Amino acid sequence: MKGQKKTKRIGVFVCHCGVNIAGVVDVEKVAKTLTDYPGVAFSTNYIYVCSDPGQQMIIDTIKEKKLDGIIVAACSPTLHEKTFQEAARLAGLNPYQIEIANIREQDSWVHVDKDKATKKAVKIIKAHVEKAVRNESLEPIKVEVHRRALVIGGGISGIQAALDIADHGYEVLLVEKNPSIGGKMIQLSETFPTLDCSQCIMTPKMVEASRHPRIKLLTYHEVESVSGFVGNFKVRIKKKPRYVDAVLCNLCAECEKVCPQIVPDEFNMGLSFRKAIYMPFPQAVPGTYTLDAEHCLGLNPVRCGKCKDVCEKKAISYEMQETIFEEEVGAIVVATGYDLYSMQALGEYGGEKIPDVINGLEFERILSASGPTAGIIRRPSDGKVPKSVVFVQCSGSRDTEKHNPYCSKICCMYTAKHAMLYKHRVPDGQAIVFYIDVRTGGKAFDEFYQRTIEEDKVLYIRGKVSKIFKDGDKVVVWGVDTLTGKKVEVEADMVVLAMAMVKAEGVGDLLRKLKIQTDIHGWLAEAHPKLRPVESLNAGFYLAGCAHGPKDIPEAVAQASAAAAKVGDLFAQKELSHEPTVVPVDEDKCSGCAICITMCPYQARTLDTERGVVVVNEILCEGCGACAAACPSGAAQQRNQTDDQIFSMVTAMMKG
Amino acid sequence: MRVKLKAGPEVRKFIERVEELSGENVYACYQCGRCSAGCPVASEMDVLPNQVIRLVQMGLAEDVLHSKTLFLCASCFTCQSRCPKGIDMARVMEAVRHLLDPKGADAFGPGEIPPDLANELPQQVMVALCRKFSK
Amino acid sequence: MKVHYYPGCTLKEKTTALDVSTREAMKCLDIELVEPEGWTCCGAEYPLTEEKIVGLAAPLRVLRQVREENGDFVITTCSFCYAVLKRANKAIKDDPLKHKRVNAYLRDDIKINALTKEKTTGFEDYNGEVRVLHLLEYLRDHVGYQKIRSRLKRPFGGLPVAAYYGCRLLRPAKDMDLGEPDDPRLFEEFLEAVGATPVDYPFKQECCGSYLSVSLPDAATEASYRVLRSARSNGAAAITVTCPLCFYNMDRRQDKIKEAFLDFPGLPVLFFTQILAWALGVEKTVLGLNQHAVPADDLFRDAPAPEVTL
Repeated sequence: MKGQKKTKRIGVFVCHCGVNIAGVVDVEKVAKTLTDYPGVAFSTNYIYVCSDPGQQMIIDTIKEKKLDGIIVAACSPTLHEKTFQEAARLAGLNPYQIEIANIREQDSWVHVDKDKATKKAVKIIKAHVEKAVRNESLEPIKVEVHRRALVIGGGISGIQAALDIADHGYEVLLVEKNPSIGGKMIQLSETFPTLDCSQCIMTPKMVEASRHPRIKLLTYHEVESVSGFVGNFKVRIKKKPRYVDAVLCNLCAECEKVCPQIVPDEFNMGLSFRKAIYMPFPQAVPGTYTLDAEHCLGLNPVRCGKCKDVCEKKAISYEMQETIFEEEVGAIVVATGYDLYSMQALGEYGGEKIPDVINGLEFERILSASGPTAGIIRRPSDGKVPKSVVFVQCSGSRDTEKHNPYCSKICCMYTAKHAMLYKHRVPDGQAIVFYIDVRTGGKAFDEFYQRTIEEDKVLYIRGKVSKIFKDGDKVVVWGVDTLTGKKVEVEADMVVLAMAMVKAEGVGDLLRKLKIQTDIHGWLAEAHPKLRPVESLNAGFYLAGCAHGPKDIPEAVAQASAAAAKVGDLFAQKELSHEPTVVPVDEDKCSGCAICITMCPYQARTLDTERGVVVVNEILCEGCGACAAACPSGAAQQRNQTDDQIFSMVTAMMKG
Repeated sequence: MRVKLKAGPEVRKFIERVEELSGENVYACYQCGRCSAGCPVASEMDVLPNQVIRLVQMGLAEDVLHSKTLFLCASCFTCQSRCPKGIDMARVMEAVRHLLDPKGADAFGPGEIPPDLANELPQQVMVALCRKFSK
Repeated sequence: MKVHYYPGCTLKEKTTALDVSTREAMKCLDIELVEPEGWTCCGAEYPLTEEKIVGLAAPLRVLRQVREENGDFVITTCSFCYAVLKRANKAIKDDPLKHKRVNAYLRDDIKINALTKEKTTGFEDYNGEVRVLHLLEYLRDHVGYQKIRSRLKRPFGGLPVAAYYGCRLLRPAKDMDLGEPDDPRLFEEFLEAVGATPVDYPFKQECCGSYLSVSLPDAATEASYRVLRSARSNGAAAITVTCPLCFYNMDRRQDKIKEAFLDFPGLPVLFFTQILAWALGVEKTVLGLNQHAVPADDLFRDAPAPEVTL
C-alpha cells in the first residue's frame, strides 16, 4: 500500500540531554542540517526537551508554526514517548503524529567518534521524518473492564491482596491448589522480629477471607488456562474433587480414626504422618476434611469404605468428579509463593541422607506447639533433645558455581530467630551459627539479631561450612572462623540448614499457561525493577509475595497491598485504552492463506472461512508486527509502521 | 603499626601477575572461608587459604610470599570443589608460590629426603613433592 | 584383545603389586595390556599455572605415542597418572595457546627405534585424539559389569570393603568428569560387581596427606588415620585404593599411624585390582601381597575373614 506522502509540516526538536547527547553529537549542527530536509518546516535544538519549559516550547511551536507532525530527537521512547504524546495532545496535535528519534541509547551512548555520531544522528532523524510525513492520526481503541479480580495463591500475599481488593468493593476469586489457604506462613512457629505466633496473626486474616462477602474462596482448585487480555480475561478453573462435602463436614474426625492408609504429613514436612482422609492442620480454612485420592485405597467401597461408613453427616462421596468452569475477570494477581532448595543438591552436607540435618521449615514444625513434637525441640533420629545445634546460613544461596547465585534474604533473620528460640527452650544447650555475612535490613531487625548474641549467647562464627557428616551418634560440622584464622569442628546433635528459596515447585507449568514473564531463576519479572515492582509487563497481571522473589512477611504484605492498589487503579477507569498501532487486514489484498495466524503470539487473528479472509481482534493485537513481516501479499500493514514507511526510513538512512 | 595499603602499579602488577598465572579472578572471592574449612592441612598453616587470597586482594605481597602455607598445600583440590564462587584456590596457591624469588633456597628439594627413606618411597611421591616445592 | 595401558614409573618399581594384579586380572577378561613404546614418567603433577607449559610435554608425549601406535584410548590405574594425563589432554583441547606451545616442544622429538636404530622425527601435532580412561571407567563402560560377574570364580561373600577415592580421581570435577565429588558411585558399583559390599563412609574423598608424608609427616599421619578410622568404624574389613601414594600413606605408614593414635587397631589396604584379580580366579601368590606392610592374606581365602586379626 503506497502511503500518501502528504505535504506536511514537520517540526524537529533535537535534545542536548545535558552532555549525554551533546557531549558526543553536535546537536546544533544536526538541527541546522535538518532545516533543509523536505517535509521539515522547523528545526531547533534545546538542552532538556523533557523539562517543563522544554515541553512548553514544543507546545507553543506546534501552535505557532502550525506543525502537523513532530520529531523529538532524544532518549529512548520507553522513557518519554508518553510525555511528548501528552504534550502534543495539549497542543491540539494527534498524539500518534509524534516520533521519537533515539539519538542517545542508539547513538551518543554507544559511540565515541563525534563526527560519525553526528552524521548518524542526522540519518536517524531523517528516517523518522520520512515516517512522520506518512503517519496517520489515530485514536486509541476503547476497551471495557470487568471489575472482578482473580488471585492465584492463598498464602499471606494472596490473602492480603484479596482482602484489599474486596474491601475496595470488587469481587475476588481466590484460588488455592491445596485443601486450605495459609501457604508457608501458617507453617511457621513464630515470626521475626516480634516473635508473634504465626498462626495467631494469620488465622484472623484467613477467617476474614473466608467470610468476606466479596471473596469467593476456591480451595483445592487450580487454574487450567487463561485467555483474553487486560480487563477481559477468561479463566478456566479446575475444581479438584475433595470427596468430602465441605459444607456438611462437621470435623468429628471419625473418618480419620478408621482410615487404614498412613501418609507422610506434608504440613509437618514429613516429620509425622497423616491419614489419606485428613485435615491439613487444625485451623484449616475451610474447616473440612479432604480425601487424598492418590493415597486412598481406591475410592471404592469394595476395597475400603470405612470413612464413608462412619461419617454421620453423610458428607463423603466417592463419586465426586473433577469439574472445570469458566469465569471472567479483569485483573489477575499472581501470588504463588516459593519452595526451599532441595538438600539433595548439597552432597557435602549429607545430601538429605542424615536424619538430623534438617531445613528451616522442618525446624519450624519442630518448634511449633501444634507440630510433630508438640513444641519440644527433639531431633528426628531418636527424639532426643539436642544439646548442641549448629545453624548453617547460605546453604545453596550466594553460589555462582553450582547452586543459586542470589541471596535468599530471609535466612539471616530466621536463623537468628531459630537460634534464639532454641536457647529459650534449651537454655543449657549450645547454639552455633556459621555465617558469611548477616543481613538485617528491616525495621528492628538488627536489634533482634544483636539480642540473639548478647542476651541469648548464641555463638556466631564467620565461615562457610565445608562438610557435614555423621559420626556415630553425632553430626560433625567442619567449618572455619575466618576472624581468628582457626579451622573448627563441631560435634553437634542436630544441624539446621538455611536452604535457599527457589521458585515454587510445579509453578512453571502454571506460569507458561499465564504466559507471564519470569527471570532466569523462575521468579516473576516485574515491569521495572525500581519503579514498577508489583506489575508484570503483561498487562493485567500483578505480582505479590515470594513468587516475585525472596522476601519476608512485612514486604510480602506491603507488596500484596500495592498490587491490590494497582488493581484498584485499573478498575477505577471507566474504560481502558488500547494502543491503536495494531495490524488491520486489507481484505482486498488478503488471500486467506492464514500464514499470519500462525505467526501471532496473542491469538489475535482468525480465519473467516465463509469469506476467505483473515480477521483481526484489534483489542488482542499488541502490534508486534510478526504478521506484517510474514504476509506475502502486503495485506497486513501495521498502522503507522507500514512497509512503505519502513522502506522510506531505510532509504533515507542509506542516502545519508 | 598500620599496614599502609598502597595502590600503585607495583601492587597492581603483583595482583595481575597472580591472576595471570593462576587464571583465576581473585576479586571474585568474598572470603566465606570454605576453602580453609575443608583444607586437610589448614591447622598447620600460619596463613589460612582464604587469608592467602585475601592478602593477594589487598596487594600485600610480602606477607603472603613469606608464609609457610605455600609449602604445606597438598593440592588435594578440596578447596576448589567447594568454593561457591568457583575459584580454584589450589591454582592461586601455586601461582603465588611461583612468584617467590627464584634465587631463594629450595623449600623442599631432593636433598631434604634421607637416603633410606628415599629407597622406600614410591617415585611418584618424590617427583610430585620436588616439582611442587623446589626450584 | 589388546588395549593400551600406561602403568607409570611407580608401578614398575616400588608398587609392582598394582601392576601385576592389573595384568593378571585383565588376562582373565581376555584383554592383553600393551604399554606404549618408550613411555616416560608422566610428571606426577599437572602444572597448575598457566605458564608451566613444559610440564604438559611429558604426559602428552605418552598420549601421542599411543596415537602413533593406533590406539584410541589408554587405560591407567594410578590416580596421579590418570589425573595428569587426563587434564593435560583436556588442556590442549581447550586452550589454543597451550596447544600451540606444547606441540612446538613435541614436534621435533626424535624417536630412535631400539632394534633398527632408525630415527623418526617431525611428528604431527597432537590434538587430544587419545582418550584417557581409568581402569574403573573401562571396566564399567567397555567391559561391562555383566561380563565381569559372568567370569567371577571366587565369591567375596559380600565382604564389606570401603572404597577410597582420594583426591585425584574426582577433583576438579569439570576436568575429571567421573561423578559428583561429594556423591560418587563409580568405585562402589565396581565393588558390588565383584561381590564385595561397598561401605558408605564420609571420608571416601578426603585427602590421605599425599606427599606431605615426606615434608610434613604428622599432618599426613593424622589425615590417613581419619580416613582409616572412618572406614573401620562404618564396618569395613578392608579399604581399597587406586593410588600407590595412598597405599604408601595408609599401608606402609600404618605403623606410624598406630603409634600416634593408640585407639586405632588397624585396617588392611588393598588395591582394587587385587580384589578383581582374585575374584576372577588369579592365584593369591601372584597378587603381590608380600608388598603389604599390613597383612591382608586372610582376606583372600575361599571364605574371606570378615574381621582380620592384626
